[in-house]
This record gives sequence, structure tokens and C-alpha cells, in this order.
Amino acid sequence: MRIFENIHIDWMGRRKLFYIVSSALFFLGLLTMIFRGLEFGIDFKGGSEIVLQFEKPINIGNIRTEVEKLGLGNIELKTYGGENAVLIRTELQSIPANLYPRVVQSIQSEIDNAIPNVERSITDSSQNSITFTLANPDTTNILVEKLFEAGFQTAKVSEEPDNKKMIISVGISDWIKENLKIKFKDNPFKVLKEDQVGPKVGKELKQDAVIAVFLSLVVILIYLAFRFKFIFAFGAVLALFHDVLITLGLYALLYGVIPGLNLEIDLSIVAAFLTLVGYSINDTVIVFDRVRENLKIHKTMPLFDVLNMSINRTMSRTILTGGTTLLAVLVIFIFGGEVLRAFAFTLAFGIIIGTYSSIFVASALVLEYASKTKKKVEF
Amino acid sequence: MKEFRFKIIVIIAALALSVYLLWPTYKDYKNTKSIKEIVTEKQIELKRTYPEITKQDLQKKLIAIEDSIRVSDPSIDDARQKRIKLGLDLQGGMRVVLEVNTAKLLEKLAKNPDDIFKKVLSEAEKETALSDESVVDIIGRKFEQQQIRLSRYFGTIREDDAEIVKKLKEDAEDAVNRAIEIIRNRVDQYGVSEPSIQRQGGRRIIVELPGVAKEEEAKNLLQGTALLEFRILKDPEYAVSLMQKIDDALAGKNLEDSTKTDTTSIAKTEAKDTSLIAADTSQQKELSEEEFKKEHPFFAIAMMDPQGQSADAYVREGKKNLLKQYFDREDVQKVMPNNVEFVYSAKPVAIDKGENIYMMYLVNKNPELTGGVITDAQANIDPSTSAPIVTMEMNSEGATDWARITGANIGKRIAIMLDGVAFSAPVVRGKIPGGRSQIEGMANMEEAKLLEIVLKAGALPAPVDIIEERTVGPSLGQDSINSGLTASIIGYIAVGFFMILYYKKSGSIAATGLVFSILFILAILAGFSATLTLPGIAGIILTMGMAVDANVLIFERIREEMETGKTIKASIDGGFSKSFSAIFDSNITTFFTGLILYQFGTGPVQGFALTLMIGIVTSLFSALFISRLIFNILVSTSSKISIG
Repeated sequence: MRIFENIHIDWMGRRKLFYIVSSALFFLGLLTMIFRGLEFGIDFKGGSEIVLQFEKPINIGNIRTEVEKLGLGNIELKTYGGENAVLIRTELQSIPANLYPRVVQSIQSEIDNAIPNVERSITDSSQNSITFTLANPDTTNILVEKLFEAGFQTAKVSEEPDNKKMIISVGISDWIKENLKIKFKDNPFKVLKEDQVGPKVGKELKQDAVIAVFLSLVVILIYLAFRFKFIFAFGAVLALFHDVLITLGLYALLYGVIPGLNLEIDLSIVAAFLTLVGYSINDTVIVFDRVRENLKIHKTMPLFDVLNMSINRTMSRTILTGGTTLLAVLVIFIFGGEVLRAFAFTLAFGIIIGTYSSIFVASALVLEYASKTKKKVEF
Repeated sequence: MKEFRFKIIVIIAALALSVYLLWPTYKDYKNTKSIKEIVTEKQIELKRTYPEITKQDLQKKLIAIEDSIRVSDPSIDDARQKRIKLGLDLQGGMRVVLEVNTAKLLEKLAKNPDDIFKKVLSEAEKETALSDESVVDIIGRKFEQQQIRLSRYFGTIREDDAEIVKKLKEDAEDAVNRAIEIIRNRVDQYGVSEPSIQRQGGRRIIVELPGVAKEEEAKNLLQGTALLEFRILKDPEYAVSLMQKIDDALAGKNLEDSTKTDTTSIAKTEAKDTSLIAADTSQQKELSEEEFKKEHPFFAIAMMDPQGQSADAYVREGKKNLLKQYFDREDVQKVMPNNVEFVYSAKPVAIDKGENIYMMYLVNKNPELTGGVITDAQANIDPSTSAPIVTMEMNSEGATDWARITGANIGKRIAIMLDGVAFSAPVVRGKIPGGRSQIEGMANMEEAKLLEIVLKAGALPAPVDIIEERTVGPSLGQDSINSGLTASIIGYIAVGFFMILYYKKSGSIAATGLVFSILFILAILAGFSATLTLPGIAGIILTMGMAVDANVLIFERIREEMETGKTIKASIDGGFSKSFSAIFDSNITTFFTGLILYQFGTGPVQGFALTLMIGIVTSLFSALFISRLIFNILVSTSSKISIG
């Protein structure tokens, strides 16, 4: 079985077409990024996110109304996967000041539920917890147990036998869980996933991601300049920029458009982009390797023809590899579960764009550089 | 064929090694399945016998049953240790990043925090959330602006601001150590398999608790203050006689048995000579190990030193669970007085055959003193003996109590315990009147430093905040494993099918090479105890697609060579050698991005980078070495090779 065998297409002659297509995609991407913006997950923005799976089918609208009543400001709520699971996200990591009294109030009434009119006082409080002092150690122990069962995150302050203090966590996810437990008493849920990222950590992760992407491009540039001539390295890396930016543009364009596809940028998406970079360079290197070989063999052939010949000769291999990798990625997209869906989507699109840029864009750039600087390219 | 013998041996050896490394994973899978079946059966049984049983009690019983199954067959634990480690996203579990709340620490350390102090502190707290400056520096700056000397709140009037800032920073650093030790201690006791507690930078601690089912309980481990206790050890004679009684109860011997009664009374009356245990054990040396276990079930696990003067017992880590079951038995409970209990040393005292061995002490249940009375502890070298010691200071209340306690217990030993385990059990040499004690007996400076941290931990706060938390519930973990597995199998079938379709027989050679490649990836992960995550599985699937790349390059080249009219053998050789540079260059660059990703990523992402890199190596090996060998063998036996 053969495909693309013995083709003789004048790719370089058509390069204006590619420039137009690429520029169009590029600007489209840029515009959508500016106007729609990119959506970042809590890995980079910081915030809290929990995924709850209910036993019985749920009405998203109901849950949204209840959660909105909780006073947490901007809440994002989506279905997660298929079955009765919901993802709740907020930008806050801790209970905001104006909500605090309400949280305290609900804890106080729960304490009254457990032991009516029990004597207590608040002796310490921080952003994340409240400490109550009670009359005696026995009361403390009972309250810790009862409130724990009611869904609050309680603990004794110390294990000493005369301990009279109880500490209760007042985190965002705790607040959400406690309230939903009460409101949906007949539909119990369990926590599938819970994430919480502080703002400083979010900033650090963002920095790390940017450095990682930048560093990869630099390393690749150096290695290729070493193995091929500098203009090849340059052309290859420029093609990579092209790939990354267009894929980002796609993200900005499609965010929220396809139901069930959660397109926001978090750590695993950055990993997908880096993989995309690594993969795209593969293709480019294959073409350039052939160019290198042909330049050595056909010393008098003009660069224009060498490039065309190399692309034609490697076309079947390029399409094949791209095809099989795409196949593997599609399998992940369909069967790999919710967690990997956006990751696979990024890779799939990236492979298509990457293959396109490796075949056409990279070589065209090399040609432009050579003809503009009138340098002879030889190895 | 002969010239290929070496290469064939290499491949078979690699295959054998891979199977060997992966066998424990398979065994562990089978074990888990059968244990689950047994436990589910028992659960139904228990529910039938005790319909009123509470959820918590049921859980406890089921855990005890599972533990006893695992303990009874050491190969189960062995398989578990050696299996492929699963990441938190596949096992379920928690990953928490803690940061010491320096502001709270400063508040607790301050002498007389007034409103000005509290205001400055809360401002500093807000600022530090967004910048990298430490709270200590920020308040130093702010107080300087207001022209207030730090010595008003910290240290003594003789120290200037710079000195105080330095000392406070040291205290903050210390707090991280205390927090780590407290958490480590508790996590060890909570019994999480393969927990990981690491320090990150100056103020952060990363704690990973795989397989933690009860997220709330686990979070409790990370909060609160630790409990430091001083408890008196029982005298050796008392301890030995109690242990003898337990041993008898377990061996099913009642006290009417004449021979045994004799030995117990001898043990009681001829008290001081614990070498009688030696006499007993020397008689018992006649008994085989099996018989010894039957005759003395307690002493078989709680091993005594016949030459020793103390009643401290050595217990293997794997036997701790069994001992706990023994202690829970009714007949043993009858013999144990309710004011004493057995406690373990916090750290192992020795290692034998790869297993940790802990010390077990018999102590009073009630502590003589608790940690709140300690004001300072310092690890030092004793100038006169050059041995490591720890000096401990107490407040006036504690000092009075301590004088009384030490005075009444000269010659006895006192266990220093944190959160239920003993870090040290030194002898009381004399009455200590001023609250200033010197503890000896540490083997090295490291142990002394640990004791210093422990003493301070019981006394001083180490408040931590959770700044990042990732929890994956076990059901999501299991789902992820299932989807990962499904996707992998489908991926392999899809890719393999395509290869055979397009390249015919050569394609099937490539598909075979792919199997080797995947096997090697998994074996390397198991061999290096690396962790497999869900993105890691995605990396393996991706590798399948990319592995095809090398094969495609080679096969296309071979086709080209054949077209120029070369012989089969020459075409194959030509194909392999000419495509090598392209294969190498393209895969190296992907490898580099994998490396960078590994450096900058965390957890699951690192798992992906790891399988990507390993996958590149193994698929190159299988494409260039294994496939080539198969081709060469086929050529030399003049078989027909079709390449589409």
C-alpha cells in the first residue's frame, strides 16, 4: 500500500498561499485572544475547585441557585463527565470578610443543635479556622464528634486530657460541602476531586510554566543550530511559535463553545503544549534532515528545488506518522476519561497544525532567508 | 543464525528482567482482588451477625481482618512494596503544601502583644501573601517606620533590632522543622502506605498521603499542637512478669499449669535476675523456631535481650499489627492492669533483613508531666564526656513538679513521648531541683537534635496553613485507571492494525517491537520505583504513536532503497543506516522537552514527562535493535519479507 508516492508538487512556488493561510490563522488567533481572552484554571489564578458526585441525578440549575446563595461571589458551575457530577469553582481561597459572620452564625446554630445552649466562647480566629473554648473537656469531645458528623471539619486543639478547645476549619470547600449536605439531604454526594491553590502558588506556577516553554524553545534552537545551519534552526523555532500561538488562539475561540469540553489552561495543558513543541520539531527535523542530505548529494541544485524535492520525498512518511500519532491521541480523547480530554484535544489540534507548519512554513522561511540574504546554503 | 546468538540472548535477558520486575505488580493485583473478596464476604457475615453495628465499628473490624490477612503472608507485603507505584491521581489520595504561618508564630512568641502589634502584624500578613518578603522582615521594617524597637515585644532590651530579626528568623526556620517532625510522627502512626513529607524551600512542607480514604481525618493530622508527655517506665521485673502472663494467655496456658506457674513465680520472686529469661530461652533453644512460636507467641514477636538489664522488647515493624491484635484480645485484656500500656519507640532502633525494628516499652498510662512546662531545649556536646546531650529547661511550675517526680523516681526511667510514641527513655540519676535537666544516652548528635526538636514541639507552636491542596477521591482514581487501561489497549490495537495494513509483514515486526517497548517502559518504572500517573499513561499511548515514527522512517527508506534495485539485504541495511540521523535528531529534541517538563512540572505532569522520556529510549531500542535483529534473522533464513 502506498500513499503520496512519487509526487512532484511545487510547494515552494505556492508559498504565498501558505503565508496567507498562516497569517490568517495567526491573526484570527491573536484577535480572539485579545477580545475573548484566555481562560486560566485555578492552577494559575488560584482559587478553590471541588467536584462532587451525587448518587441520584441532579438539576444543575438547582445546585447553582443554592451555591449562589452562599455568598461566595463569582462561582463557576459545570457538569463534570457524565454522571451526576458537578464541578464548582471559585476564585477565593478563603472565606471573604463579608461572609465570615454568616459562617460563624451557621456554626453557632449547629452547636446549639448538638447541645442546646451550651456555654462557649470564641477565643481565636484566623482566615481559615475558628477556635472555641468550652466549659469542660467532655463537652469539647462531644461537640467535636457531633459537628464532625454534621459535616464540619472539626478537631480538638490538643490531645491533653484537660483540653477544652475545639478548632473548626472554615474553608471555602468546607462551606460549600456543609451547605449542600444540608440542602440536598436526600441526595448524598461524595467528593471526587478537591483542589485549592493559594495566590502566591498560582503566581509561581505561572512563572514556572512560562520559563519551561521559553527554555524548551531555546534548547531546541541551540541543538538544531548545532546539527544544522543556523537558519534552519531559526526557521524551525519560528514555525514552533506559529504552532503554539495558533493553538492558543483556538483555545480563546472555542472556550465555552463546545459543551463538555473544558478548555481552560492549567498545568496539564501546559504539558500538552510542551509536548506539542517537542512533537512538531520532530516533523521539521525529518524534512530538514532530508534537505541536508540532498544538499550534500546535489551540490548544484538550487535551494528552491532541493526544498521541493525533500518535502515531496518525505511527504508520505510525514503524513503517516502524523496520522498514527493523531490516531493515538484521538483514542485518548474518546476513551481516556474526563481528566485527559482537554489535554488530548490540545495535542490533536497541535499535531495537525504542527505537521502543516513543518512541511510548509519552516522550509518557506528558510527559502526567504536565503534569497533575502543571498547566501548559499551548504553543509 | 549463529552470529545473532549474542543479540538474541540480550533481548531474552531484557525480556526476562522485565517480567521479573513486573511480576510483583501482577501478584499485588491478584492479592488485592482476593483480599477484597474475602473482606466483602466478611462484611456480609458481620452485618448479619450484628445488624446493629455502627459504621465506624464495622470499618474497624474490616480493617483488622484485612491487616491480619496481610500479616499472615509476608509475600503479600513484599509484592506491594515492589509493585509499580501509582500516582495520587490513580490511587486516590491527598497532596498538601503547607506553609508555616510565621505571623501566627510571631504572635505567640511575642511578650505582650498590644493593639499596635496586632495591627502591624495583620498588615504584614496581608503583604506577605502576595510577595516573597518574609513576615519578619516586613514587621521589622514597619516597626522601624513607627520608631518602635523590636525589643518591646521580643527578646531583651539589650538586643538591637537586627539581632532580634536574626533570632526570629531562626525561630521561624525552627518552626518548620518542628512542624515536619510532628507531621511525620503522626503520619507514621496513622498508617498511610508510602507517605511522603518533604521540605520545600525555607517555609514550605509538601505532604503526600496516597490512598487516604478519609480526607477530613487526614487533614486533622496536619493541624493542632502536638502532645508531649513524660511517663514513667515500669520496673523490669514488673514488666517481665506482665509479659509472661500475656504470653501464657496467648499460648492458651492457664495458670493451673504447674510448670508454668513455677516459672512465673520464680520470675517474680527471684526478681532482679532477668537472666532467668536467658535460662528459659536457653532451654527453649532446644525448641525449634516453630515450636517456640507456639509455646511463646508473645516473646516470639516481642523479643528480649537475654543479656539486657531492661525489659525493653524488640519488635519487627511487620509484627506491630499482630501485637495490636493480641493486645485487643479479651484474655490478654484481663491480664493487663488498666494503668499501664505498651508504647513503641518513634524511630526504629535497628534494621534486620531490610525490616525496621522498634523498641517497645511498658509505661504508665498517665503522664507525670506534659509539654506545656518546657521553656527551652538545646542539643549540645557535654564538655566532660564529649557525648551528645540535650539540656532542657522548665518554667517555675514545671520545675517544682519535676523536682518532686525526679526525687521520687531515682534509678527509674522516664519516657519522653510525643503524640503517643517514645523518643527517648533516659534514667533518672538524681533529683533535679531547678527545672534544668540534662538528658543523656543519645547515640549521636542527630538523635540529640531530634530530641531537641521534639521537646520544643511539645511546647512551642508551629502553626501551618494549607496553601495548596489536591485531593483525588478513590473512585475517580479507579475510573482513571480504567479509562487509562482501555485507552491503552485500544490505542495499541489501532496503531498495530494500521501498521500491518500498510506495511504488511514488516508492519507486524514493528507491532511486535511496540509490545517490547511498552513492556520495557513499565519494567523500568517498576525497577526505579518511579510513579505512574494518568498523564503518564497518556505518555505511553503517545509513545505508541511516536514509536511508529522511527519504524516508518526506516521502512520508507527501505522501500526507496529497494526501488533503486538493491538486494533485500542491502536495502534493509541501507534503510536502517540512512534513517538513523533523522531518527536520532528528531527524538532527541522531544527528549529535551520531556526533560524540561520533568524539571518544571509537579506530580502528574512529571509522570507524563517521565514516561515520554523512557518511551523514547525504549522505542528507539526496539526499533533499531529488536526490529533490525528480526529483519536480519529473516533475511539470513531467506524468508519472504513483505514491506507493502
